[in-house]
Amino acid sequence: MKLQILQENLSNALNIASRFSSNKVQLPVLGNVLFSAKKSKLVISSTNLEISVSINVGAKVQEEGDLSIPSRVITELVGNLPHDTVDLETTKEQLKVATSSFASNVLGMNSNDFPKIPGSVVASKALTIKQKDFAAALMQVIFATSLDETRPILTGVLVLLDKSDLFLVATDGFRLSQKKIKLSSSSEKIKIVLPKAILSEIARVGGEDDLLFSIEEKEKQAVFGVGEIILSSRLLEGEFPDYEKIIPKSSSYKILADKEEVLRAVKLASIFARDNANIVKIKILKDSLKISAESGQSGNQETKVDAKVEKTGDFDLEIAFNYKYLEDFLHSVVGEEVQMEFSGPTTAGVFRDSIDMSYLHLIMPVRVQG
Amino acid sequence: MQDIKSTWHDTLEIIKVSVSPAIFSTWFSQTHLIKIDEINQRFLIEIGCPTSYIKNFIETRYFGLIQDSALKVLGKPCDLTFVVKENPVREKSESKSPSPLFETEENSEIITRALEKAKIRSNFTFENFAVSGSNQMAHAAALAVSENLGNAYNPLFIWGGVGVGKTHLMGAVGNVAIKKNPDLKVLFCTSETFTNDIIEGIRNKTTQSFRDKYRKLDLLLIDDIQFIAGKDTAQEEFFHTFNAVTSSGGQIILTSDRPPSEIAKLEERLRSRFEAGLIVDVAPPDFELRCAIAQIKAKERGLALDMNQIQMIAANVDSARKIEGTLIKIMTQLMGKKVEITDELIENIIGRGVETNGKNIKKDPASVIDAVCHYYQIGKRSLLGDSRSRPIARPRQILMYILRTDLGIPLEEVGRIVGGRDHTTVMHAVEKITQLATTNVQIREDMSKIKLGI
Repeated sequence: MKLQILQENLSNALNIASRFSSNKVQLPVLGNVLFSAKKSKLVISSTNLEISVSINVGAKVQEEGDLSIPSRVITELVGNLPHDTVDLETTKEQLKVATSSFASNVLGMNSNDFPKIPGSVVASKALTIKQKDFAAALMQVIFATSLDETRPILTGVLVLLDKSDLFLVATDGFRLSQKKIKLSSSSEKIKIVLPKAILSEIARVGGEDDLLFSIEEKEKQAVFGVGEIILSSRLLEGEFPDYEKIIPKSSSYKILADKEEVLRAVKLASIFARDNANIVKIKILKDSLKISAESGQSGNQETKVDAKVEKTGDFDLEIAFNYKYLEDFLHSVVGEEVQMEFSGPTTAGVFRDSIDMSYLHLIMPVRVQG
Repeated sequence: MQDIKSTWHDTLEIIKVSVSPAIFSTWFSQTHLIKIDEINQRFLIEIGCPTSYIKNFIETRYFGLIQDSALKVLGKPCDLTFVVKENPVREKSESKSPSPLFETEENSEIITRALEKAKIRSNFTFENFAVSGSNQMAHAAALAVSENLGNAYNPLFIWGGVGVGKTHLMGAVGNVAIKKNPDLKVLFCTSETFTNDIIEGIRNKTTQSFRDKYRKLDLLLIDDIQFIAGKDTAQEEFFHTFNAVTSSGGQIILTSDRPPSEIAKLEERLRSRFEAGLIVDVAPPDFELRCAIAQIKAKERGLALDMNQIQMIAANVDSARKIEGTLIKIMTQLMGKKVEITDELIENIIGRGVETNGKNIKKDPASVIDAVCHYYQIGKRSLLGDSRSRPIARPRQILMYILRTDLGIPLEEVGRIVGGRDHTTVMHAVEKITQLATTNVQIREDMSKIKLGI
C-alpha cells in the first residue's frame, strides 16, 4: 500500500472511526482501524463487533493493499500533523507515515485478522431518509433509553416503519419518547430495535446528505450510508414493550406554558429536590403552575409560572415528577412553548412541543405519600 | 440424538486449546449450537452467533478448525452452517427492573376509591355475569342503561327470586358508570339503609344533609326496594328523591323480589312511577346457566374443575349462592385435607347437602313422600316397600336424595323413613342420583318438578 492523502480528510475519518474501535484489550485487533487502499480511495474501517463503520476517503493511490493499525496511536498522530499531504506506505506490518518534515513508523497487524464489515449499502433495497431530520429526531429520542443492562431491549431504540411513517421510540420504563418522521416513499412494515450507540453516531454525522438505511433480516444487521460513510449495527433481539397502549388517550388538564420559564422553574426546584429523591411537585392553578420542591436539610422553594390551563376534571391536581426527566424533556424541545397533559397524580403525563406534534414524551409521575 | 449443549461444550474445549484465549473469548465464547441433524453418516450442525460480524469472521477463518473439532467429538464428518442468533440461555437472564410506565393500572386507584365511595363491590361486573335465556332480557336492559345513563330506561326495575343475580346486574351498571367517569356521583344502598338514613336525619335534625346525599346523585341504585313498603315517611322521602334525581337527568335502578304491582302497602304514586320505567324479571338459572356460573366462580377462586365436575355441581345445586357455597366447601376440603379434586370428592360434598338457610327445614318428610308419589303416580306402599324394579326403585332413590340433600336429614333417619333401609343404601341412592343428574336431563326435570310440588 502506498498513497498520498490530505491530513484534514484522514484526521476527520480517523476521528469517527476511532469511536467505533473497542477499547477492551481482550483482542488487540478490535482496537485497530483497518486501512485499505483501493483504486482512488482509502477505506478506513473500524468495529467493536456490535457496531461498525467504514469510511471512504479520496486519496492518490499508487499501490493497493491493506493493514490494520492501533486506533489510538494513529488517530493522535495524524491529528497533530500540520495541514499538508501525508504519505502512507506499508512495509510488511509497518506503516510509514510521513510529511515533508515528519516521518514515523507505526507497528500494525495483519489485516486478515480484522473482521469483515459491510462496506456498502445496497441502494435498491435501501430506504432514503433526510439525514438532518433523522439526526434531529434521534436527539429527541435517544436520551430516554435505559442504561440498565439487565433489560437489554430497553437500551435500544425501536424503529417502526409503517407505510410512509417512521416512528422512533425509546423508553427506560419511567419515561418514553416517541417521534414520527414522514418519509417521501412508503415501504413495507419494519419493526426493529437498534442499539443506542449506532444511533448516537448517526446523529453526530452531520451533513446535508440523505441517509440510506437497509436491514438484513437474516444477518440481524442494519446498514446505514451517509455520503462516504457506511455504518452498520447488529439488531437487538427481544420484545419491545407494547408502548402504544400506555399512551393516554384523554386527559383532564391541558396546559400550555413557556419552555424557558418552566425550565428555569425546574432548575430552581432541582436545587432542593436533589436531597429529596429528585422530587419536584407541580400544582395546577387556574392560570398558572406552581412548581415547588423541598428538602429537609436545605430548605424549600416555589416558582409560579404563567400558563394557559384547560381543565375538564373537577379535582385539584398536584403531580410529582423526577426533575431530571423534566429537564431532559425540556432540553429536547425545539419550540418556545411546551404543552403538558395530565389526568391524575398516578397516570403518565403527556408532554409535547407545541409547534411539533410529531414529538411525544411521557413521564411517569412519582408517587408521593400524603 | 446427541446432547446439543455438551457436544458444543466439548467442541469448544478442543478449540480453546488451538487458539489464543483472546481470540476464544472474543469469537467463540458467545456462540452456541442450535441443532444437529444426522444425514447419511454425516452430521449437519447449525451454529448460532450473536452478531453477523462474529458469524462472518469465524465462518471464514475458523471453519476448518470447528469442523475438525466437531469430528473428534461426534466421531463422524460434519457440515457446518452459521446463523445469527442470540444465545437463548443468555436472553433468559433478564431480571425485572422497575418500569412503572408499563404497569397498567388505568387509574385503578381512583376507580377503586370511587367504587368504595359508591359502596359498589368491584366484582359485580358485566364480564363475570353469565347470560342465558332466563336473564337475557334483564342483562340487555342493564347494558343499555349503562351505556346511556338516564335516557334508556328510567327507572329500571329488576325483580326476581333470591340469588338470581339482580344485585349483580345493578352493581355492574354502577361499575361501568364509574369506570367511564370516576367523578360521577353514584350510590348503591339497600332500602333499609335508605330508611335508616332518614331516621338518623330526623333524630339528629340533619335531614338537609340526607337530602344532599341522595338528591344530587347521577346514579342511584337501591336494592330490595320492597322493604320500603308500609314505611310512610321513607316512601314519601323516596318519592321526592326519585323526582329530584330523575328530573336532573339521573338514573335510578331498583331491585325487588316481586313486581311493583305485587308489593303490598306501596303508595300508588310510587307504584305508578316504577311502572313508568322498564320492569324486567330474572328467572332462576337453568342448568346451562348454572354451569356457566359454576365455571366463572370456580375460575375466580382459582379452582380447576373439568367440565364433568362443573356439570355435576350445576345439576345438583339449584342457585348461584349455593354453587358458591359448594365451591367454598370444595376449597376448604382441598386446603384442610390436602387432597386432589376428584369426582368422588364433589359427590361427597353435594351428597352431604348444601346448608339450607332455614327455608327447607319446615318441610316434613311426609309431604316429600306425597309429592314423589303424586309425581310418579305410584302408591306410597310400593314406594316404601321392597320392590327393586326400576320404575319403583328410581323414584325411591330420588326421594332419598331429596330427603338427604334438601332437607338435610341424617342418613340413618332417611333410611328409617324410607321403609327401614340401611344407611349405606341411602348413601348409594344419593350417589347414584348425583351421577344421573349430571348427565340425564329427565332426572333433572323430574327433580325440579317434584320440588315445586312439595
